[in-house]
Amino acid sequence: MAYKTIVVDDIDILVVGAGLSGTGAAWEARYWGQDKKIVIAEKANIYRSGAVAMGLYAINCYMGTRFGENNPEDHVRYARNDLMGMVREDLLFDMARHVDSTVHQFEEWGLPIMRDPETGTYQREGKWQIMIHGESYKPIVAMAAMKSADKVYNRICVTHLLMDEAKENRVAGAVGFNVRTGDFYVFRSKTVIVTAGGASMIYKPRSTGEGAGRVWYAPWSSGSAYGLLIQAGAKMTQMENRIVLARFKDGYGPVGAYFLHLKTYTQNGLGEEYESHWYDELKKMVGEYIDHHPVPTCLRNHALIREVLAGRGPIHMVTMHSFQDPHLEEVGWHNFLGMTVGQAVLWASTDLDPKCENPELTTSEPYVMGSHATACGAWCSGPEDVSPPEYFWGYNRMTTVHGLFGAGDACGGTPHAFSSGSFTEGRLAAKAACQYIDDGKAEGIVVSDRQIEELREKIYKPLENYKIWNNEVVAGDVNPTILYPKQGLIRMQKIMDEYCGGVSMQYMTNEKLLNIGLKKLAILREDMEMLAARDLHELLRCWELHHRVLTSEAVMHHTLFRKETRWPGYYYRGDHLYLDDENWHVLTVSRRDPKTGEWTMEKAPLYHIVGDVEEEYQKKKAAKS
Amino acid sequence: MPTFVYMTRCDGCGYCVDICPSDIMHIDTTWRRAYNIEPDMCWECYSCVKACPMHAIDVRGYADFCPLGHAVRVHRDEEEGIIAWRIKFRSGRIKDLVAPITTKPWGKYIPDLKQVPAPTKEQRESQLLFNEPKYIRLDDGDLYTLESQGLKMRQGVYY
Amino acid sequence: MFITSNPFAGLAQFGITPGMMQIFVILAIIAVVAGILLDVAHKKSAKYFFEHTERMKKLATRQLSSSEKTSMLVQVILNEVLTSSEFHNPKRRIAHLLKMYGFIIFVVSSAVLIFFYPTEQYAGFWGLMWRVGAIMLAVGGWWFFTKLRVDVLSEGKKWYKLARADMFIVSLLGVSTFGLLWCFFQGVVGSTALALLFFALFLISAVVLFGGVYWSKFGHMFFKPAAAYQKRILMADGSRENLPPFYKRAEVLDQSTMDLVRDIPADQKFGLCIMKDEPNHY
Ligand SMILES: Cc1cc2nc3c(=O)[nH]c(=O)nc-3n(C[C@H](O)[C@H](O)[C@H](O)COP(=O)(O)OP(=O)(O)OC[C@H]3O[C@@H](n4cnc5c(N)ncnc54)[C@H](O)[C@@H]3O)c2cc1C
Ligand code: SF4
Ligand code: SF4
Repeated sequence: MAYKTIVVDDIDILVVGAGLSGTGAAWEARYWGQDKKIVIAEKANIYRSGAVAMGLYAINCYMGTRFGENNPEDHVRYARNDLMGMVREDLLFDMARHVDSTVHQFEEWGLPIMRDPETGTYQREGKWQIMIHGESYKPIVAMAAMKSADKVYNRICVTHLLMDEAKENRVAGAVGFNVRTGDFYVFRSKTVIVTAGGASMIYKPRSTGEGAGRVWYAPWSSGSAYGLLIQAGAKMTQMENRIVLARFKDGYGPVGAYFLHLKTYTQNGLGEEYESHWYDELKKMVGEYIDHHPVPTCLRNHALIREVLAGRGPIHMVTMHSFQDPHLEEVGWHNFLGMTVGQAVLWASTDLDPKCENPELTTSEPYVMGSHATACGAWCSGPEDVSPPEYFWGYNRMTTVHGLFGAGDACGGTPHAFSSGSFTEGRLAAKAACQYIDDGKAEGIVVSDRQIEELREKIYKPLENYKIWNNEVVAGDVNPTILYPKQGLIRMQKIMDEYCGGVSMQYMTNEKLLNIGLKKLAILREDMEMLAARDLHELLRCWELHHRVLTSEAVMHHTLFRKETRWPGYYYRGDHLYLDDENWHVLTVSRRDPKTGEWTMEKAPLYHIVGDVEEEYQKKKAAKS
Repeated sequence: MPTFVYMTRCDGCGYCVDICPSDIMHIDTTWRRAYNIEPDMCWECYSCVKACPMHAIDVRGYADFCPLGHAVRVHRDEEEGIIAWRIKFRSGRIKDLVAPITTKPWGKYIPDLKQVPAPTKEQRESQLLFNEPKYIRLDDGDLYTLESQGLKMRQGVYY
Repeated sequence: MFITSNPFAGLAQFGITPGMMQIFVILAIIAVVAGILLDVAHKKSAKYFFEHTERMKKLATRQLSSSEKTSMLVQVILNEVLTSSEFHNPKRRIAHLLKMYGFIIFVVSSAVLIFFYPTEQYAGFWGLMWRVGAIMLAVGGWWFFTKLRVDVLSEGKKWYKLARADMFIVSLLGVSTFGLLWCFFQGVVGSTALALLFFALFLISAVVLFGGVYWSKFGHMFFKPAAAYQKRILMADGSRENLPPFYKRAEVLDQSTMDLVRDIPADQKFGLCIMKDEPNHY
């Protein structure tokens, strides 16, 4: 094949994926490493890549300590509560104490952050969210990253990490290919910060035609962060904790501003409030978690799902009241145009005027990510001054592989970081990566030509498979020997849907189903040796599929391991339909052995940040019983 | 198909190809004009629509659930720093909206971190990031720690 | 003088008579017209065009007077047609102007030489113009072909990768480049064999160029001005193809969304961001 091999040498900090966390990492790295070589490898165009490509209408994580609004520990409590206790509170506290400094810089760079006309403080949408005109959020942070990085390599799909051959379990760079020219890129680097984002399209979507593209998380969120880290043998955590979103039906338009700012509310098909119908059931399933405020997202989902199954659907978002106020109506529309234009397209096409008609809500197919109301990702070290010994191994946000860092969706246990928190995590990882290098931890890295050659061959194999085996048939996509990436994707989605608690199973699974699912995934992985790509675009899809399938495997193993139903409304273990704090008040941690492909699972202790609030609560509880 | 390109408007400049995060805007081999090669991988993110200098790209909502006869069109102007939208409903009703996209000249106020004074040893050893602690609260206060907040990390079940 | 020589006159040595050449030109014109008519009829492109215009008319918010329409026609001719103003990328605009004027000069001078100077060795002005046209066409064409073509510029394809869309540009490159080479070998080097070879290639290119209209992008030269005119009309009559008004910031400052930028001087421009760079980030 005529593709060139392009070697980029002597990199100090390689950022893989320049979304919100990647741009944060590249930008901050320059400060702590003013003479270091900082390089970005991004599979799309940095100006519009990642989950924020479309823009955002809110920054969902801002403390407002400056205005006396919230303290970092308040946010930790909020996230802990929303995730039914399962979070890395050291990482969360650390993110929360820095996030405001990130947001203040965004404003300085020109991001339009709305102000409350009376108080002059940032316009709050809810307790944690502030409202922005964020159509150009991504281009603005991209410019910051471009200013700091020595070079941005756009349209490089990173497929594998390079591993050091001198010292076990140490990273040495990454490889990938250029989606335009097809050239093979080798990045030799002392450290790698993986910020390649979460995973959409793991589960069979509700809309299976064109509408499959209208996923909640971006279609280009290919689980590469997980795929790359898992391949390298990094430990992962909380991968069972996928998220199901209650959103406007079909368009998946955001509801945050609607609930919090526009004060719309939900009702069932009979026009009744319905969440209370499910209080007793949930009380039995999850105990006192149901009494928390705010009610955890998953539990509200549960009520929605059950209410529809009880025959009292559809669930409506009551917009007709609020939208009589023309200002609120305008905010409602801007909210869509700013971050989910497809929802505006849907309402335009169906002639839906939310002033005159209440739109429907539904629960989405599950998504695997780690920066929204969910916590999938790598098992990373916390900061020295906060983390207990089990959570600390030297460098903030470093995975269990030396020199390999994660941030944003890639970093596990840190839900509710959102865009601003992801950027902040990138900054934290970048500083730690510079320290790691300055401490001399990246000396003497060896990568043999053989390692590189083997990867090169692997990467292009789908093109080769197509060339050879396309001769077998007259025309068309049906071929007994090769598999196209779309076909593989759909097969994976069906497996995940039916065996790992997707929409068509109403999010239900159990041990038997999961074991069958794992077998089927293993066979799919065998077949993927024969993945075929007609062109470079399809080659991109092949590698996205590889990363998605690895992500799926992790989700399956973790779901099997946690023998309880921790998050009803996200998924149900039918054989363990109750929350079990006695045995499962722990974080789940997995590792896939890169040599054998074997998975091992373990429990990690759960530490909580405890202060007055918790002490008082414990006292009250004791008094009651 | 989510995005599509008007035959008579596209001049084949390539901005859409260059910007699409999904890598699905490509060039047709007969007309050398752009089109969406994989509509079911289109997020309707409008990145290409906004970048097209000819307004040649439009969106027809997903066939799965969007009836015909609508339009959501946009004009994004970087020089003016504003974005204007027009929503045309199936019924023909029209709604115009406009919003700012920046408050400052693009990129001008992003500092070049190579040029700022290098961090001291203490800063390196601290938990601080660039511009901290000042930028956290825009006052003289320090970074929050467990001690400063009277907190402990403890194992067990806490809500 | 070589630079005013008439390449067509030299064709007599290959047994090609002025009559044959004149018939070729007439056939070429017929082929182009037929190709376009066939295209219009077969693809129903004109029908689409008028039905689309009708539909848009219903959305018009105001009636355009005939003098407005005339002035728009003039505008289209002055801007889109004569100066290719619709091109956003200035390099492509220059290349396009070179190609367009080169082609016109080349075709017109060829026809003049064939019909009015069929046997004269030197044709003065028209001989010179034939070369000027060919060189402009070749320069604009090769520049476009190797660097500016969107499949090369933005898709990262190698310049020598061909597709059907390249039929038009490749045949243009063929007539201009082979024409110049044929002329050069015939007039300066005096190599009959090479002259014959390049003339043959020139002839093939011309046959493809004029005979392949139905399959190539040749027709766009005629459709584009019509489309440009239609666009101007639609923008002016208020239907705007459903596009929002292209406001200046100062015009919308009264909107509540604009609070944050209200104090910025109206004439301050923010510069460019994404649109600053050429579309080849890879
Ligand atoms: C619909 C929606 C609404 C949201 N609303 C809000 C909101 O209102 N407020 C808020 O604060 N947050 C919001 N978020 C969340 C926010 O967008 C994410 O938390 C954040 O973008 C995560 O950052 P990240 O860096 O982890 O991933 P991303 O920003 O997705 O970045 C990942 C990057 O990696 C690149 N990449 C992927 N694979 C590869 C590979 N193999 N090789 C090279 N590069 C690769 C991608 O192209 C991308 O640039 C929303 C998200 C969505 C989808
Ligand atoms: S950006 Fe617009 S004009 Fe340029 S190639 Fe794409 S569709 Fe055509
Ligand atoms: S709308 Fe977005 S995903 Fe769809 S083609 Fe345009 S840039 Fe690509």
